Amino acid sequence: MLTVDRVAGGALALLALGVLVESRVLPLGSLRQPGPAYMPVVLALLLLIFATVLIGLGGRSPHLRTTAWAEWRHAAAILGTCVFAALAMERLGYRITTVVLLVFLLAIVERRRLVVTAVFALALTVGSYFLFATFLRVPLPRGPFGL
Amino acid sequence: MLETLQNLSLGFSVALSPGVLLYAFLGCLVGTLVGVLPGVGPLAGISLLLPATFGLDATRAIVMLAGIYYGAMYGGSTTSILMRIPGEAASVMTCIDGYAMARKGRAGAALAIAAVGSYLAGTVSVVALMFLAPPLAAFALRFGPPEYFALLVLGLLVLAYMSTGSMVKSLAMAAFGLLLGMVGIDQMTGYFRYHYGVVELGDGLGVVPVAVGLFGLSEILITAGQTTRPPVINPRFRELLPSRREWREAGAPIGRGTVLGFVIGIIPGSAHIISSFVSYAVERRLSKRPQEFGKGAVAGVAGPESANNAATSGALVPMLALGVPSGPIPAVMLAAMMVHGVSPGPMLIRQQPELFWGFVASMYVGNLVLLILNLPLVGLFVNLLRIPYHFLYPGILIFSLVGVYAVNNSVTDVWIMLGMALVGWVLRKLDFETAPIVLGLVLAPMMEMSLRQSLAMSDGQYAIFLSRPIAGTLLAVAAVLVAMGLKPLLTRTLDWRARLALAEKGEEL
Amino acid sequence: MIRRRVVALLTLVLAVPILAASADDYPSRPMTIVAPFPPGGMADLHARPIAAAMEKVLKSPVGVVNKTGAAGAVGMQFVAASKPDGYTLLLALSSISIIPEADKLFGRQPAFTADQFEPIALLSADPTILVVRTDSPWKTAREFIEDARKRPGQISYSSSGVYGTLHMAMELLQHPAGIKLRHVPYAGAGPAMTAILGGHVDALASGPAVVIPQIKAGTLRPLAGWGDRRVAALPEVPTFKELGYPEAEFYIWAGLFAPKGTPEPVLARLRESVRAAVNDAEFKGAMDKMQTPIDFKQGEEFKKFFEADARRLAEGVRRVGRIEEKK
Repeated sequence: MLTVDRVAGGALALLALGVLVESRVLPLGSLRQPGPAYMPVVLALLLLIFATVLIGLGGRSPHLRTTAWAEWRHAAAILGTCVFAALAMERLGYRITTVVLLVFLLAIVERRRLVVTAVFALALTVGSYFLFATFLRVPLPRGPFGL
Repeated sequence: MLETLQNLSLGFSVALSPGVLLYAFLGCLVGTLVGVLPGVGPLAGISLLLPATFGLDATRAIVMLAGIYYGAMYGGSTTSILMRIPGEAASVMTCIDGYAMARKGRAGAALAIAAVGSYLAGTVSVVALMFLAPPLAAFALRFGPPEYFALLVLGLLVLAYMSTGSMVKSLAMAAFGLLLGMVGIDQMTGYFRYHYGVVELGDGLGVVPVAVGLFGLSEILITAGQTTRPPVINPRFRELLPSRREWREAGAPIGRGTVLGFVIGIIPGSAHIISSFVSYAVERRLSKRPQEFGKGAVAGVAGPESANNAATSGALVPMLALGVPSGPIPAVMLAAMMVHGVSPGPMLIRQQPELFWGFVASMYVGNLVLLILNLPLVGLFVNLLRIPYHFLYPGILIFSLVGVYAVNNSVTDVWIMLGMALVGWVLRKLDFETAPIVLGLVLAPMMEMSLRQSLAMSDGQYAIFLSRPIAGTLLAVAAVLVAMGLKPLLTRTLDWRARLALAEKGEEL
Repeated sequence: MIRRRVVALLTLVLAVPILAASADDYPSRPMTIVAPFPPGGMADLHARPIAAAMEKVLKSPVGVVNKTGAAGAVGMQFVAASKPDGYTLLLALSSISIIPEADKLFGRQPAFTADQFEPIALLSADPTILVVRTDSPWKTAREFIEDARKRPGQISYSSSGVYGTLHMAMELLQHPAGIKLRHVPYAGAGPAMTAILGGHVDALASGPAVVIPQIKAGTLRPLAGWGDRRVAALPEVPTFKELGYPEAEFYIWAGLFAPKGTPEPVLARLRESVRAAVNDAEFKGAMDKMQTPIDFKQGEEFKKFFEADARRLAEGVRRVGRIEEKK
């Protein structure tokens, strides 16, 4: 019952319905002068149709259980670290954030040796900072102590 | 003809003078670097280095900026092929077959074909630019909103040829991508749509964060956690270069990609990405072995790469011939010209022949320089793949984070990238194609705007699409394509895609 | 014991930078001018030369950062919310007066309001020019206006976007002249120019720097200008004021602003350094190359200009109203 296609179709249908709800505040306009809601509504309806077809024909696709989610913890750790980096970048500054990110990924997620990790993290941070901030003159955020 | 050759020799004397040559080389170098870095694309590169050109004279400044521009197109293919991260938005299509080729151990071949294809496309399109700039520009101007809309409709049909799997799934992904393109300020009325108070979303979800997240980061999320590491490929030198068969397969796609890319590039406002998408679709449709696409088809790399390089030269045509920008990158270059006291406009070619012809000649030189630069680097880049993955991917992550941040100095872009990484990961698990999302994201705002502009121009009459010759022709072509695609439903013969699917099933059994 | 010492030391170390930032030795750190538009645009092309000139005057680094998005709203909001210590400045274009009005119109929480800024100086103020193609039937502004009166809603014009500068310029003409034109918005001044050159619209109001090359090349014909004086490079082009429409006054101006609450001594220092910077030879040269005449106003003069301009624009925006509701 819970096949891959059906689940995906369901999620997409929910998204389409969400868009339709959110579009209520925008004027629809007319066929002659379409308003800001016109195209999103049309697209959301199309998505709804496709999603429904997916659900309908979805019986033939493999069952949800067969998808290989094995590595989800690893992926979640990586994504989580990136989320931290996004939050911290403008508060802690680029260099501190990057070093923390690399150390966490290499030492804890990938379980490499601490010395190698530290060297790699520092080298990559310094190198990338030089490349972007000095050479390409991208203003990278600075944290406390001007780092 | 004679006059052109005389002008060209004037141009070469300018372009090959040591000062100008140096800056062209510098531009190409920086451009390649910028192209290789994920996220930072040619626009960001040019914008960042614009201030550095203020002290130079006009010719050198323009030559350097142009070098960055097409250098970035060369560099963008490198990360696409090696790591499935689009170096810039236009390289998204190269990610698909280029990366597949790398997986098969043909990374060197893919890189070489991309470099050579880009060189040929770049050079040929410069020739076209040289001879045809003014008439081409005049033609390009006739593309108004109705023509634009018709062209984009044709572009949407391209989607049908992009998918390797279920048609419904691709259509759903396209609809999803089109919806994503609806976020932002509605240019026609000023309403903010779906931005939830975040001002940075006013310009919509950027293509760059979405592409990098959807393709590159999701690839990392999937691969990093695999317990069986992907085999580290150690190619011998002879394997680095494409085989004779591969060269043969690349020839025609390069030619087609060049023409397609150049024509699409001339049209003001169109994005480079479209040229590579269309090229991919055309190659797939014309190929004798369409089942290879998605698994490492040479044409899937040669075509799009040539197309986006040709589009680069094409985009410069309206800028040089008329002084009107056909996109954000030519706009920055125009500004650079203005800052240096060169007033761009229709008289530029006549009033500043050294600038124009020096520029054209430096483009020849630049393309050659890039070819010479990139080919030996193929070996170097392929060796990058030998770095153990657990050290490689954090590096890629850092560069992606900074690259995406650097484009707009905005953390919001980084969030979009992370969000799309999650979405991309889930979608790939559920066996959905992600390329249509990017195409939809790019097409939606342009399609909507040109539709509503056309209606504004005609005061609500839909007839404008048929009464204007170019628009009418394009729509007729689109209608024919749709009919051809639907014919099997009527005659109940299997169309080529269904036959393809059957053949694949047959192979699997 | 050690911990207390460490804390004391840390406090000392942290306090030093805080103590150092007193107004007496302003500027003691690099300053940033925020240009809320992409590189190569008008804001950028003003910000970089003025930053370079101010750096020379203040003998302290002045950098330019582009914070783009939402027609300038992102950069402007950023400066409005930043610390009023004189280290973050804004190079704003006339849209600073338009965006809050538009927000009010849509009932949105405004991204920022004009009173969150302290004006420092005006750098340039170019009036827009009305242009049509040379092959169009109107040879003078009067012919154009008369024709527009006879055929309301038939003559089309392009703009850089709804509620943008090029749109508002045309709006400020339509009301006093009693005409109604058909508006086709485009995504930026470049596409708007392409549109008229390609024959897709009939008219355009844009800044002198972009229209003059086309006029010289013979593709566009200027009809009138929105300034209170004729443009130096186009001496035969009358102003709408001369033609009897004094309310049609519109400038694409660029000015320097600081967040409100910046201390007076800092403001005074900034004003005097901008005054010196504007007279710098290199700055003058840069502006010359861009064919933008320097129109320097400061203090009360600038405030008057800014407020008059804001009033005109606010009224214009209100009159345009929400496009969807006008049927």
